[in-house]
Formats: sequence, structure tokens, C-alpha cells
Amino acid sequence: MPFEPQHIVSRYLQQRVLLLSLVLLALLFVVTAALSRAYHVREEALARYWAEKGNTDSSGHKLATAFEDYRNSLFYAPGNPDVQLHLAEALLADGRLTEARSYLANLWDRAPGSGQVNLDLAKVSIQMGDPDQAVRYFRDAIVGSWDIDSSAQRRNARLQLYEYLLSNRRMDEAQAVIAGIAADTPAQNGPVHEENAHLFLRAGDPVKALAEFEVALQSDPRNSQWLSEAAQVAFEAGNYSKAETYFSRAVRVNPTDELRASLELVANILRNDPFLAGLSEEEQSRRTWSDFQTALKRLQMCTRDGANGSASAHPSTDLDALNKDAQDLQKRVNPSALGMDSDLRDEAMQFVSRIEDVTSEICGPATGVDRALKLLKKQQEGSGQ
Amino acid sequence: MNERNEPVGEITAPGPLKNSSGQVPNGKNSKWLSSLARSFKLSEGNLFLLLAIIIGIFSGLAVVCFRIAIEWVRLTLLGSALSPPHIRTVVMPVAAGLVVAFLVQRFFLAARGSGVNQTKAAVYVFDGYVPFRTVIGKFLTCSIAIGSGQSLGPEDPSLQMGAGIASALGRRLKLSRDKLRLLAPVGAAAGLAAAFNAPISAVLFVIEEVIGTWSASALGAIVLAAVSSAVVMRSFLGGEPMFRVPAYTLGHPAELLAYAVLGVVSGVLSLAFTRIILIFRPMMRALPEWTYYLQPAAAGLLIGLVGLKVPQSMGTGYPYIDQALHSEYTWQILAILGFAKILTTSLSFVSGTPGGMFAPTLFIGAMIGGSIGGLEHQFFPQVSSSVAPFALVGMGTFFAGFMRVPITSVFMVVETTGSYSIVLPVMISNTIAYLISRKYQDMALFDILAKQDNMELPSMEEQREQIVLRVEDAFRQPNSPPLQASDTLARALEVAELSTEDYLLVRFPTGRWAGMARKDLPEIMAKYPKETQLREVLSTARLPILHPDQRLDDALRFIQGHDLLPVIGRAGSRKLEGVISLPDILAAYQKAS
Repeated sequence: MPFEPQHIVSRYLQQRVLLLSLVLLALLFVVTAALSRAYHVREEALARYWAEKGNTDSSGHKLATAFEDYRNSLFYAPGNPDVQLHLAEALLADGRLTEARSYLANLWDRAPGSGQVNLDLAKVSIQMGDPDQAVRYFRDAIVGSWDIDSSAQRRNARLQLYEYLLSNRRMDEAQAVIAGIAADTPAQNGPVHEENAHLFLRAGDPVKALAEFEVALQSDPRNSQWLSEAAQVAFEAGNYSKAETYFSRAVRVNPTDELRASLELVANILRNDPFLAGLSEEEQSRRTWSDFQTALKRLQMCTRDGANGSASAHPSTDLDALNKDAQDLQKRVNPSALGMDSDLRDEAMQFVSRIEDVTSEICGPATGVDRALKLLKKQQEGSGQ
Repeated sequence: MNERNEPVGEITAPGPLKNSSGQVPNGKNSKWLSSLARSFKLSEGNLFLLLAIIIGIFSGLAVVCFRIAIEWVRLTLLGSALSPPHIRTVVMPVAAGLVVAFLVQRFFLAARGSGVNQTKAAVYVFDGYVPFRTVIGKFLTCSIAIGSGQSLGPEDPSLQMGAGIASALGRRLKLSRDKLRLLAPVGAAAGLAAAFNAPISAVLFVIEEVIGTWSASALGAIVLAAVSSAVVMRSFLGGEPMFRVPAYTLGHPAELLAYAVLGVVSGVLSLAFTRIILIFRPMMRALPEWTYYLQPAAAGLLIGLVGLKVPQSMGTGYPYIDQALHSEYTWQILAILGFAKILTTSLSFVSGTPGGMFAPTLFIGAMIGGSIGGLEHQFFPQVSSSVAPFALVGMGTFFAGFMRVPITSVFMVVETTGSYSIVLPVMISNTIAYLISRKYQDMALFDILAKQDNMELPSMEEQREQIVLRVEDAFRQPNSPPLQASDTLARALEVAELSTEDYLLVRFPTGRWAGMARKDLPEIMAKYPKETQLREVLSTARLPILHPDQRLDDALRFIQGHDLLPVIGRAGSRKLEGVISLPDILAAYQKAS
């Protein structure tokens, strides 16, 4: 059979057709390759055109047009993650959360470590009322990968997380976030440390805020604004010795009345504080006696003003009680007794604070040394910090 | 190789090759040809597989060109934006409709319709013949129609183009009629695989809808063709899945109930869609023939008018499926899109515009699915996670209900999205939609369309679901125990006298079986002494054996020339389970019918 002439001709024809097919295949391949290349070039150009138009429209706040532009672009470059991200961000900006989340989830599937995608998902989660998921995405964004300027992007993500935590009154977590920011801030970058200080202040941590101001001042020790802010923070924190240091430096750089007044107040506090570290017992008892006398004078004046009707219309029971206690205490408090009895010193200073508090309420804010005595209480509270 | 294991059709080069005029080719060329021919020592089976690959590559290239052509037409006629300018939206489908109608009526009459039935007709009616003219016609008319915004898809035409290319190549190679018949589905699978970027679904679709059964002879070639065409397509147009979907996780088991509801709704809507087409198509065909020139343009006008409000309902709609899968639409909008697409696709299809139904079906399914998901989410947020997975499942569900190809519909969703986690909801929903469609629509869409075209094509659905009779359905217990090879002729005579069987089975210790007719016993007894053992009498005889799980069709083939065959268990003891005769087999067939 295989050697019959008819069979041989048939096989020969088959081979010719097969060979011809292969030649045709090669030709068609070349034609298709050329067509496909031309088509891809056109596709890329169109994808680029629509993406750029989308960016323009998006930045011009024409969101509805931007969506269409991005979708057009994605039609020609379906897998382009940048355009998908832009579209998702435009949708997010327009409040179309479900759609934005869907695109972002798709991007996240492909790049779960993308910082930007996680950050956007965090924003979506916030708006969709899922705080725990939002915080998770924020944290993933912070440790995620960023294409450009990764440190700035991470700081930005941390700041957004910080703001979110603050708005949710999660102060401890916010402080932890800002501590991370501070740790990653280069020491020589004073302005950023100053920003960090403000962030600590907003999170209710003046001690760390002061530390950040101090780091900032290392890069620019004569920056009057930072000096006055550092002084103010120290003052608010009850750390009057540091406050005096920074106020005095600030006055040297920028001698304003306000700064001078603050410096004087702090100086008064420090002059009258019997509890300052390193004071002898004699000096402690002297200062206590002096403060006690000053407070009694304030009490007498306030009582007199109250009797004349110039004080506020408070019931006089508080002043009466104070006067009564003052009479009792005066019997025991004298310079020699104060010198021997530290408990008595404490008792006397507590009474001083009480007088300043009550008289401030009834007879108006204290001034001069009285104001300093009133603030001493804060010094005692802040001394541990 | 044929059934007797004799080599057939082997291509060898035993001597000098002659050209078509009978002369021996000379010179360098002839040596090269001879050398190449000698390397082509292929059996017909291997040649067929090689052809499948060549067909796959041809089809892949053709489909790449086809898809590019559709895009070029779209860019030229409608512009690069997904929502075209209003004037183009209305004018271009009309103008293109006129051109397409003219081309179809004048030059490419066979290019009408989707292409699936035409391919089936090629296999079952025309001995695998698909005119190459149809390939060209399909390419041109579908590019223009789909590119101009007619609501049709490129998949079914690609399937027919693949079949056409395969058929042309097979004819040129002068393959046998059987092989030509097999080549059409091979090409069809290649075309569909490239158009859909989904070779598994293409293979399954061709098996479910074109050839109807898992034929081992065709399967290898179909798979090779589908894979090679998909590879070609991916190398030119990229290997990304057709749709990008967010990861899906089943949130709550009750969510499956929500998907069951989707199955019910999709099943009902797919029925409605089928009915619309089946009612209006013959009505349009019954109109005077000159209207055939205008019908696609009229459909184009109506589609354009719908497109002014709902541009998403034009063309293939793939970009919008992607948007639906990203939850970009509310459930109300999705519902509008779904119904608008039913309208525009019906218009395109019944007008005779060439183009496929795959893409529109997926579009409608995605929109309806998303809409149902959104609606359920609104009222039962705990059982319905979001719109996207419902849109995804909806694609397969509507496809299952409309096309009635349940297995393909499941794999198609998985393959076109690359999402395997969605399989469970897809299976539940698809099954429900399919069963509803089966219950209320006796015949599948393609079967009825074939009838409308005065063609009686075999129903693949019926073929798939035909009951397969097996030997176990026909065999019976023997009336007497079998004889042993060591038994004597005298013993055989005793048994024959007691038994009502006309044929006695004899078992050999080696597991071989033989037999003798009772009527032959006296003649044998005359030749041999009574004490002769049966093994001496039946030393060369051998009966085929059957197993209970074998198909009855096979038994019918084996029983020719034998009165009775033993049915042996497959377990180690090779126990005689029963016996079977021709009347037993016929009785089983009679009972089943």
C-alpha cells in the first residue's frame, strides 16, 4: 500500500500543502505582528492621552469628566495601576466609596505592600466607618513601599493616622504615632522637630513637646519663636527652671514686653518656691514664711474688699473659713517652727495655695508674687516630670 | 493506525517524489523537499495532531487580526472615548448596518447569525465543509458591525472563522471525510479560545455544544488547537484575564442563598431573552427579502437611539462589565443596563446582523447579577457582601441559562477572571438558572434556531443527557454453572441435559473462556471418547469476555458470532457475574426506549 503511485502522489500533495501552510503561517504571523504593533502603539498613545486628560480634569476638580477620562484610559491600558489608582482616588474624592474601594481592593490584591493603596484604603475605611480596618491600613501604609520620597510619604501617612487618632480621642495611640515620627526625624531638621513638638502638644504630651523644641533649638539656638515656644511649653508643664532659661534666651534675642513679663513671672516663682531642689532648710523655711505672709495679706485685702462690696458676690463662707483657719495656723507658724518642722512647711504652703485659689475666684486673678504663689502648686505637680 | 492495529496513511518517502504532473522534481529544491518529506514520517493520527496545532496558530492569528480590526473600526467610526459623541452614536450604526447588509446579501450570505449553528451544520450536514468565503465574510461584516456599535460579540464569529480555516486546510490536504468532520470543531475551539482568551472554556464549549460528547479521538486535537491559538493570542494581545476582579471571600454561608436567588432571577430572564429572540427572529425573516438590506440599519438606528441614553449597551460591552465588577454602578443603573442590553442585542441578532451572542450574554448576566446583588445588599446587608461578586457570578449564570452549557459557564467565569474562589456560588447559581431554563424551554436556543433555519441538527443537550446502557443493565444469571476445562465430555453431556441454555460456557484455569453449542455436542461426542477432557476439545477456542461496567454498545460489537458471552467481575477472583446474549442486549435496549 505505501508504495502505490497514487498514494505517493497523495502524500506529496499533502506535504506541499503543509509546507505552503507553514509559509502562509509565517506571512500571516508577520502581518499580524505589524498590525498588532501599530495597534499597541495607538493604544498606548490613547491610554496616555486619556490619563493625562484625567489628571488635568481631576486637578481642575472636574471629577465627573475625570472618571470618564480614566475609564477611557483603562480601556486601552486595563492593567495600568497608576490610572487605576488615580481613578480610585478621584472616586474617593467624590465620595463614591464602594467603587473606590473596589478598585483599591483590586490594586491591593496585586500589591498588598503598596503604601499609597493602603493609605487610600485607610481613607475609604474611615469614611465607611470602619476605624479598626482604617488603622490597620494606615499602619500598612506606613511600613509599605513608596515609589518616590518614601520617608516623606511615610511621615505623611503617619500624620494622617495621627490626625485620625486625635479626632477619635485615642490620645495614647496618637502619642505613640508621633513618637515614631520624632524618632525618624533627622536631628538637624529643626523646623520638622518644631512641627513634632506641636503635634505632641496637641496629643497632650508637653514633656515630649519640650524635648522636640530642644532638639529643634540645637539646629538654630537663636530662633526666637522656638525659644519662646519652648519656654511657654516648659512654663505650661510647670517646669519653671527650664521656662526661665528659655524665656531669658528669648528675651535676649527678641526683648518684647510680653516675654519680659513672662520672664519676671517665672523668676518670681523660682524666687519664692521653697521646694526647689538644693535649698537649705533655713532658706526653705524663710521662703515658706515669706509666702505665708504674702498670702495672708492677699486674704486680708480680699476679705476687706469683700466687706466693701468690691469683691464678687460670692458667699463669704469660704473667706470666713479661710480666715478662721488662718488664725489657727498663725498660732503655729513662725520662722523658728518652720525651720524645725518640714511637715509644717508643707502644711503652710498648702494653705498658701488654698488662699490663692479662693481669693483668685472671689477677688479676681492674682498678680505679681501672688500669681507666682498660685503657680507654685503647678510647679510642685510638675516637678516630678 | 486502524482498529486492527495496521498502519494506515503513513506518510513516508520511499522513493523519488513526483510533482503533481507526475514528474520527479530536480535540483536543489527537490532534494530539500525530499529531505523534508522524509522527516514527515507521520501517521494520519499524528498528522491530525500537527494539523491541530497549525490550525490553532492560524486561528489565533486570524482572531488577533479580527479583534484589531474591530477596534480600528470602532476608533474610526465612534472615536476613542467609551461614550461616543451623540451624532456618531446614531449615524454610524445605521451606515455600518447598510454596508454590512449589502455585503451579507450580495457576497457572504453564510455570514449571517452567530456562527455556532453554522459550525454544527458543517459537522453534521456538510461533512465538515465550511466555505473559506464565510471566513472572509465573517471577518469583514462582524468587524464593521461590532465596531460600529451593534450589540454583538466577536466570540461566536471567531469560532466559525476557526472552523472555516480548519476546514479549508483539511480540504487542501485531501483528508478523509471523517477527519474533515473532526477538523471543524478543532478549528472552532481554536477560534473561540483565542477570542475569549480562555482555552479550557473553548474546549468545553465545543464539546458541550458542537460535538456533544467526549470523543477521545477529537479531544487531543481540540485541546492542542485551543492551547496553541490561545498562546498566539496572548503573545500578541497580552495574557491578562479578560476581567480583573477584586478577591472574593464567602462572608457568611447565608450568602449562598443570595446567589440562589440570583440563579432564579437569571434563569427567568434568560428564558425571556431566549423567547424574545425566538419570537422576533422568524418574524423578521418572514419579511420581504429586500428588507434584509435595511434590517441591520434599522436595528442600528434603534440601538443608536438607546445608546444616546445608555452608551454602555452598544458594542461588546466588555469595558462596562469590568466597571460593574468594580461596583461602579448602583443596582438601579445595573438593572437599566441589563435590560437595555437585552433590547439592543435582540435588535442586532434578529435583524440578521452577523455577530456573536457570547459577549452580550456575559454583559447582561453581569448587570443583572450586580443589580440583584445590590438589591439584596440594600435589604439584607448581612447576606450580600457587595455588587462585584454578584456581577461576576451573574455572568456565568445568565450564560448557563441562555446558552444551556452548564459546565462551560462555570469554567468560563473562572478562566476569564482568574478568580477560583468564586466557584461555589457560580456552581449553585448556574445550576439553578440552567434547570429553570430546561424546565420551561424544551429545546436549547441553538437547536431552535437551527429548526428556524430548516435544519435538523442533533441536540447536544439530548446527546449529553442520553442514558448510557451498560452490560450490567442486560446480563443475567446462567441457568447452569459453567463447565471447567478439566471436565470430561460425559460431564458436559450431563450438564447439557439438565440446562436450558443452548450454549455451554467452559472456564480454563488461566482465566480463558470458551464455549460450545448444545446442538454441536453429539457431533463432538462422535469424534472424541467420552473421557476426553474439554481442554483438549477446545484447545484453540476463545470467547471474548465482558465486564459489567462496559457499555452495551461495546457488548453489541463483541457478541457478533457468539451465542453467549461470560460477564466477569473486575475484582481479583474474576468471578462469573453472569452471561449475556444478543437477545438480552436487544431486550435491554427495548426496555430503555
